[in-house]
Amino acid sequence: MKNNPLVKKIKKTMKQIIEYFKTPHVQLVWKRKTSDVLMKIVRTILLFGLCFVILFPIIQQISMALRAPEDVNNPSVIWVPKNWSLMNLKISIVVLDYWNALLNTFKVSVISMILQVFSTALAGYVFSRLKFRGSNLLFVLVIITIITPPQALSLAQFLYFREVKLIGKETSIYLMSALGMGIRSGIFIYIFRQFFRGLPKELDESAQIDGASVFRTFWNIMLPNARGALVTVGLFAFVWQWNDAYYVRIFDVSKEAFPLLTMQLINAAEGMYGALFYTGGLDLIGQNVWENPLFLALISNVSALLMMLPLLIMYLFVQKQFVESIERTGIVG
Amino acid sequence: MAELLNKTIRTKSSGLKGYKRQKMFWAIVFLAPWLIGFMLFFMIPFLRSLYFSFFTLEPTPEGIITTYAGIKNYIYAFNQHVTSTSSFRVELINTTVDALINIPVLLIFSLFIAVMLNMKFKGRAFVRAIFFIPVILNSAAVTSALGGGDAIAQILQEQGIGTIFDLEFYLIQTGMMPWLIAFIVGLIDRIYAILSLAGVPILLFLASIQSVPKHLYEAAKIEGATGYETFWLITLPNVSPHIITVTVYALVDTFLTSSVSSIISSELGKPTRWGESAAMAWIYVSTVIILLLILAVFAKAFKIGGSHYEE
Repeated sequence: MKNNPLVKKIKKTMKQIIEYFKTPHVQLVWKRKTSDVLMKIVRTILLFGLCFVILFPIIQQISMALRAPEDVNNPSVIWVPKNWSLMNLKISIVVLDYWNALLNTFKVSVISMILQVFSTALAGYVFSRLKFRGSNLLFVLVIITIITPPQALSLAQFLYFREVKLIGKETSIYLMSALGMGIRSGIFIYIFRQFFRGLPKELDESAQIDGASVFRTFWNIMLPNARGALVTVGLFAFVWQWNDAYYVRIFDVSKEAFPLLTMQLINAAEGMYGALFYTGGLDLIGQNVWENPLFLALISNVSALLMMLPLLIMYLFVQKQFVESIERTGIVG
Repeated sequence: MAELLNKTIRTKSSGLKGYKRQKMFWAIVFLAPWLIGFMLFFMIPFLRSLYFSFFTLEPTPEGIITTYAGIKNYIYAFNQHVTSTSSFRVELINTTVDALINIPVLLIFSLFIAVMLNMKFKGRAFVRAIFFIPVILNSAAVTSALGGGDAIAQILQEQGIGTIFDLEFYLIQTGMMPWLIAFIVGLIDRIYAILSLAGVPILLFLASIQSVPKHLYEAAKIEGATGYETFWLITLPNVSPHIITVTVYALVDTFLTSSVSSIISSELGKPTRWGESAAMAWIYVSTVIILLLILAVFAKAFKIGGSHYEE
């Protein structure tokens, strides 16, 4: 048995394999390979799980929105609606005065986004490239505007706007945005400053040698190069204005003649039955349905979905630009 | 000859001076909107609200009557204010503790995710796009609508059918152990909250990782560094200056979305309480500033934020 050639051969190969694994470079290679594979598995599970957590409520909302109102507490309906119906959406559209509110919200968000991008890009450029004595001190003030909560200011701002009779007008929001004091403008100034600082000095030096004025250097050379920051700031400015309920409430911008989505949604959610009653949403369905409190919860969910949906769709379009803008440039200098 | 040289130098320097003057001019022009806005909508309201916090305000049709109240408003905010379920003092302490516990977690989590999103793998663009969805959908209005409003939530609770749309409900149907269900549901609730807070930090970290010079990674790869070593020796030191930025952002964001901030808002809604709400806002601002100062001292002591390569 001991001299069996097969056993000997096996022993020899075993020895060889062990020898092979004992050589340092092979060990390194294998260590690398296993850690790579492990990393890949952990990464896939983690990212997949987190993506699921993010997407799950959205898919659930959509599935809920598309079921017939009668199926609200039908426990047999979980994911795929048994009776497809657009009735919930129709009711929510009536309750929110959706198309009007959507148009107004879109208008306010776009105008305030453009104004905000303008004012903060100019200020950010000054703090990074057109420094003068005391500009750093002014930048400290920008940091203070970032950390001060709007609540500390809004009463005085309200009284101020009341004096100039701008309460209840969307102009008040535009004015704040244009003067660099809109929603989180401080952060945008910070982003632009970091970004412009990251651009190579040669850019504006060569422009200066070629005889470009300061304004032209900014407008024709620096701004087109700052596309990444423009996209990022633009997206955030738009989204935060879209979602804003605070300033809209303080300045009383949303009115019956000029409804905005956020306020319509909050008002509807706080008194769904009343909202259904006054807008005539109740006439669309039978009493057995609207007497069900779950139905009211469902409609407020669907209304929330209706407010998010345009943002999601728009994000799908800019998403590539947005992700690339991080990729290409790096906002943080 | 010398004269000519002198002349060219002089014109050149005057040209430079002219350019400098032009720079100054445009700096003022560019900064003007922000400066005006700062004065009108920040400085004046800021001082005015400081002034209000020491007064009792009474709105009348003729205007606001102010009577001096000393530090009564501050004492009120600390000792007397109560809401139906909580009080300003309790919420302030809770938020501060929450911020101190959550921010380190948030930092580690978002840095980790940013490193992962920076790796090369299939569908990276898709995953990245998904990760910023919570930032976009993070809105007070949506949250309040998803809560269904207080009245509806109460009805649902009374009838015991509030769980119909919940994950919990599905899990109970599968017959899992209750503590396991509670754990999963709690974790998932928390994950979504963390994700919606982490969006901007992930973005900032991702951007700062992108700006790390590529040759450092190449050199490390040639030297045979593992991913683990690369992270600790290259990514982290290069990202550390931005940890401060992210921390400041997270701190401000935590306070801004906290219950403290909503208490101040609701006090602001009652015209007779304007003075008190101004005092609360000032307590809030000073808490944030104190936390930031502690953070700055802490960062200096541990040398976070300085460049790794300067020594």
